[in-house]
Amino acid sequence: MELFSQHILSWIIFTPIVGAALCLILPTRWSRTLAMAASLITLLLCISLYATYGPAAADTPEARQEVFGVQYGDMKHVERASWITGEKFAIEYYLGVDGLSFPLVVLTGVITFLSCWASFTVKKAIKGYYILFLLLETGMLGVFLSLDFFLFYVFWEVMLLPMYFLIGVWGGPRKEYAAIKFFIYTLAGSVLMLVAIVACYFFSASALGGRGTFDIVQLSTNQSILQKFSDPHTLLLGFRFAPFMFLLFAIGFAIKVPTFPFHTWLPDAHVEAPTPISMILAGILLKMGAYGFFRIAYPIFPTVAREFAWFIAAIGVISIIYGALCAMAQTDFKKLVAYSSISHMGYVILGLAILNKTGFQGAMFQVLAHGISSPMCFFLVGVIYERAHHREINRFGGLWLTMPRYSSLATVGFFASLGLPALCGFIGEVYVLLGTFRAKDTFDWAVPMAVIAALGAILTAGYILWMIQRVYLGPAKDEYKGFPDANRNEIGILVPLAALCLLMGILPTHTVFNFMNGTLDLLQEKIVASAGIVGHLASSIGM
Amino acid sequence: MLVPLVMFLILALWGYRIGKPHSSLVAILGILISLGCAAYVTYQWWPLSAAERLTVGQQALSFHWATLGGLTDGIKINAGVKLDSLTVCVYLMVTIVSSCIFIFSRGYMAGHSDEVDHQSKYHRFFAYLSLFAFSLLGLVISANLLFIFIFWELVGVCSYLLIGFYFDRKYASDAAIKAFVVNRVGDFGFVIGLALMLVYLGDLSLEGAAASFGQLIVNPASAINATAFTMFGHPISIATIMGLCLFCGCIGKSAQLPLQVWLPDAMAGPTPVSALIHAATMVAAGVYLVARIFVLLTPDAQMGIAFIGCITLTMAAMIAMVQTDIKKALAYSTLSQLGYMVFGMGVGAWIGALFHLITHAFFKAMLFLGSGQVIEGCHHEQDIRKMGGLWRKMPWTAFTFLIGVLAIAGFGWPGKNTEPYNGLGGYYSKDEVLAVAYFRAYGGTGHAEESQSATQLSPQSSVLSPDSHTLPHGRVSDNSAIHNPQSAIASLPDGRVSEMETHQPVRLPKLPAWMLWCAIGIAYVTPFYMMRVWWLTFMGKPRDHHVHEHAHETPWMYVPLILLAIGTGLSSWFIFRPLIVDAASANAAWSASHAVAVTALDGHDEIVHHAAHAPLTNYVGYSFMVGFALAILIYIGGLKFAQRLIRLPVVSVIYNVLIHKFYFDEVYNAVWLGGTRAISRLCGAFDRWVIDYFIVENLARLTKMFAFFTGDRLDARGVDKMVEGVGQGAFRIGDVFRSLQTGRIRNYVLFAATSVTVVVIIAIMLTG
Repeated sequence: MELFSQHILSWIIFTPIVGAALCLILPTRWSRTLAMAASLITLLLCISLYATYGPAAADTPEARQEVFGVQYGDMKHVERASWITGEKFAIEYYLGVDGLSFPLVVLTGVITFLSCWASFTVKKAIKGYYILFLLLETGMLGVFLSLDFFLFYVFWEVMLLPMYFLIGVWGGPRKEYAAIKFFIYTLAGSVLMLVAIVACYFFSASALGGRGTFDIVQLSTNQSILQKFSDPHTLLLGFRFAPFMFLLFAIGFAIKVPTFPFHTWLPDAHVEAPTPISMILAGILLKMGAYGFFRIAYPIFPTVAREFAWFIAAIGVISIIYGALCAMAQTDFKKLVAYSSISHMGYVILGLAILNKTGFQGAMFQVLAHGISSPMCFFLVGVIYERAHHREINRFGGLWLTMPRYSSLATVGFFASLGLPALCGFIGEVYVLLGTFRAKDTFDWAVPMAVIAALGAILTAGYILWMIQRVYLGPAKDEYKGFPDANRNEIGILVPLAALCLLMGILPTHTVFNFMNGTLDLLQEKIVASAGIVGHLASSIGM
Repeated sequence: MLVPLVMFLILALWGYRIGKPHSSLVAILGILISLGCAAYVTYQWWPLSAAERLTVGQQALSFHWATLGGLTDGIKINAGVKLDSLTVCVYLMVTIVSSCIFIFSRGYMAGHSDEVDHQSKYHRFFAYLSLFAFSLLGLVISANLLFIFIFWELVGVCSYLLIGFYFDRKYASDAAIKAFVVNRVGDFGFVIGLALMLVYLGDLSLEGAAASFGQLIVNPASAINATAFTMFGHPISIATIMGLCLFCGCIGKSAQLPLQVWLPDAMAGPTPVSALIHAATMVAAGVYLVARIFVLLTPDAQMGIAFIGCITLTMAAMIAMVQTDIKKALAYSTLSQLGYMVFGMGVGAWIGALFHLITHAFFKAMLFLGSGQVIEGCHHEQDIRKMGGLWRKMPWTAFTFLIGVLAIAGFGWPGKNTEPYNGLGGYYSKDEVLAVAYFRAYGGTGHAEESQSATQLSPQSSVLSPDSHTLPHGRVSDNSAIHNPQSAIASLPDGRVSEMETHQPVRLPKLPAWMLWCAIGIAYVTPFYMMRVWWLTFMGKPRDHHVHEHAHETPWMYVPLILLAIGTGLSSWFIFRPLIVDAASANAAWSASHAVAVTALDGHDEIVHHAAHAPLTNYVGYSFMVGFALAILIYIGGLKFAQRLIRLPVVSVIYNVLIHKFYFDEVYNAVWLGGTRAISRLCGAFDRWVIDYFIVENLARLTKMFAFFTGDRLDARGVDKMVEGVGQGAFRIGDVFRSLQTGRIRNYVLFAATSVTVVVIIAIMLTG
């Protein structure tokens, strides 16, 4: 039992691997059952972390301190062992969870389980599919839970390969193209990240006077490291160290998020990927970019975050508007949803950029909300693709009449994505917008940006409703007359997602904020405080 | 209190309503329960004194929903119930009107061809109706503006669903989208208003925001009074912008200019929906919002609101004159009446506008339901040119419709002051709005004395004697002393308060006279177009025998009409008006105690009402007769005279402009819709061709060339000969590249990055 409770995070990460191994050994006909079981167990393990964060619901400063610690970097369930130790290296197996990663871990559990369930449509090479699928889950959980840079990078790459094959083998007509596009984009990002990781290691060595560190927490909290990094005289290849490194990380994560102009892999990857993989891609993989900003880019280079806030915010706002406009122009259903992801993730970037608590909370909520609503949308698209074998929006019409149950659920999903109050999309957007307004004393550009971002909401309503009209409304078309309504599997997948959309929208504090605000606030305070090291601090940046 | 419980009940009930064959009964039961609760609450509320009401209101439910920002320094958002006279009053109105409409819907939908592919949408209709009622009631009782916004959007969605109820028809789903998106444009302003509130007032609850607004507005140095920009040499403060942004929500929902375009199209929904949403309740939500945020408005913002209201009421009434679709004519009349309400809010006639809201809800619901009866009876014929002579076939409908027409036209005996027996609801409410407007336009000048003497001359006006001029303010001061003993009004720094003390009208900018005259002029137009509709529908000779023969009416449908007629006649005066007056006085007391003397609240209203009464009586008192007479004269012989009339040169130009609704739709379609679609297509193409094709693909091509160069030329022919192994490896890589049939590999980035890594590592190794 102790083995279990002490190493809960390892259990979470490696349960899927065990499942994958079993899949490999046992006959093909068991693969699906095994994969379902493995992802379900993982989900339950993820949820068991609730015991740690449950008391946070008390919502008093004391309760918060107890649960989330007194400063950023107070992790729970820490597992630490040295892994590769060389003369100059100290790579650790270092896991931990806090209010930033906990919701994402649970999200990963939920979405992976549901998309594993949704994989019933996959008929080709089932065994390989589920093995790669479970491997992917390990990679994703590992990324969220590892606190050592090297480990982080390993998991990041572990996640990349299965994804490449899942798109490239089980995808649609242009799967090779999409897969390689996805792969190269992400690899380019991760290589830049690797450069930055290595550079950080060496510079932390000179800051600590001896061995460097791969410890993400230490890198982001140790004063001398922060000082060294943000010192304008620290140069690398003639560039100021902090902005240079931040840029490398930021490109890596921005590709993942994705933001304008690094987004073009996303529509292709989504369109070609099989439905469950699209769900994972939209639900979790994109979140890693945002997580990277939260966990790595911002805490380690707070001064840059402050200095280039306007630039990051502008990228966010452009993503919002540009993504929405592109979505409006699409005729492929899946591409529309993919571009809407770009638009929605723009709010995350904007919320991050403004560096206040409301913005951080909104950004993180948006991450989770989008993690629920966009897999739902992709699954909804998948359901009709299964039946119609095409995704041309203009060729659909009148589906509500043939598939009423499915269409009602679709309305929930798309309205959540539209940002309707009482559904999850609203909270994140409104927090980010209000947060951006609140940053007006810190940043001159905050108010215009907020106004433009708010315009995005109108565009979103426009393209979503227009799509609903073209696909679901109108007279029933003969070619779709015989379509069966959503079956039990599909209902089983859609209902939990719809329920989560509703719950998160109606009770945001009790379902989400209580479990992450503690850490987010500490993180924001830390960033603001350390951004002040070189005197950039504006006193009004709180809240 | 019980109200939230009812909400919960409705919410819980509507879940399993879906799929029930008798879902209409369930829905009706749900709304009747809330009606019962509303009545109970009103009954309990009635005998309470002002102080007790305040205490009860403070005990109302509140629940911590979320915190914006940090735990200690963040802003708490509470989901709570606002309980005051205004809530009680509007809640009661909504439940009564909704109940009638629900009952009517049962009749309307019963014989309705709502079946598509043998699937009845009957239950869905009632589910939507219930959801709508829930959202609207939620909106009414919310104590926090963020929650008002949430319910606000929910109401918008319900209206989307209901307008698009016949979603298999293109025009219905078009109209639904239009309604939603146009409302979103309004909500865009609303959100910005909320954000400004949050930033400058630090609170989103109605009370908290008003309190901090009160403290800030009197301090000229506070940020809220800072000039944001100057318009026509007149400084516009941030507070004004905030007020106007919040008002944007109202522009969207109450379909004021320039966002009025959705309402007439929204008539694509079933008629009970038109009655419920587009006449009685939802559009009134906008006015309700303005009433709620009234204490946050600056005089400038009020002037803006009055301006919008005035333009809307004028344009809409003129368009209404030429409509031939019975529902669209009513829709434009709704627009116009909403314009009156908004105008009333703008000029400070808080009571008048709200009272007009209530009376209008009754009679417009009745008119719409009447038109629904007509449409249903005539087998979905909506063109009034084809009707005529229907009163024989549907006497109840004709009669109740006539009451509605009289009410909206402001029917009453202007000479007498035997309130409330000398007129119908619309008479008083419109009169009050106009009276305040008159006072605002002319009150400060010589007219004031004149009208004061006029009031003194009228012995029936029991409230007023020269002494009793102080009464309203006296009451204000008393109340404020009760609620807030510390507030010594006289010592407050702001000049406006002391003006108030001297019983002068609050220093508000003078209302431009043209606004007043527009409003008065339209008071003549209203009776004309209403009588036109009524006459063409019910009187005269039947113009289409097919339609005439089928006409019939059913009890499920006309009983609610009669109920509403009774409501129109009397109850509004006895039940609703005192509540509004009470709410207003509480408001006034409150604002006085917080030194928010920015608005002309109820305190003046009664003075104003009587002050401006005499001249107004001459101007508008008999307007309905003129309007009626004109309408009857023109249409007594059927359509011929009117048709000849519109062929006259000048008239035909005006007619064309009106029939095209001032070309709003055309312009919007071209500019906004076309513009957005063009831009979106441009973005799509940019994404596809510039970013993806030009940049990414060319990078890929470059990489391929580079790979070919290194792999083939350099490696295979150069290095390979020297270092066999390395060369082969590279060749294999090159092979891999070529074998990928897509041939578009973006290795350039990868390549560059890898080289950079190597370089960096070497550099660091060397330096470190």
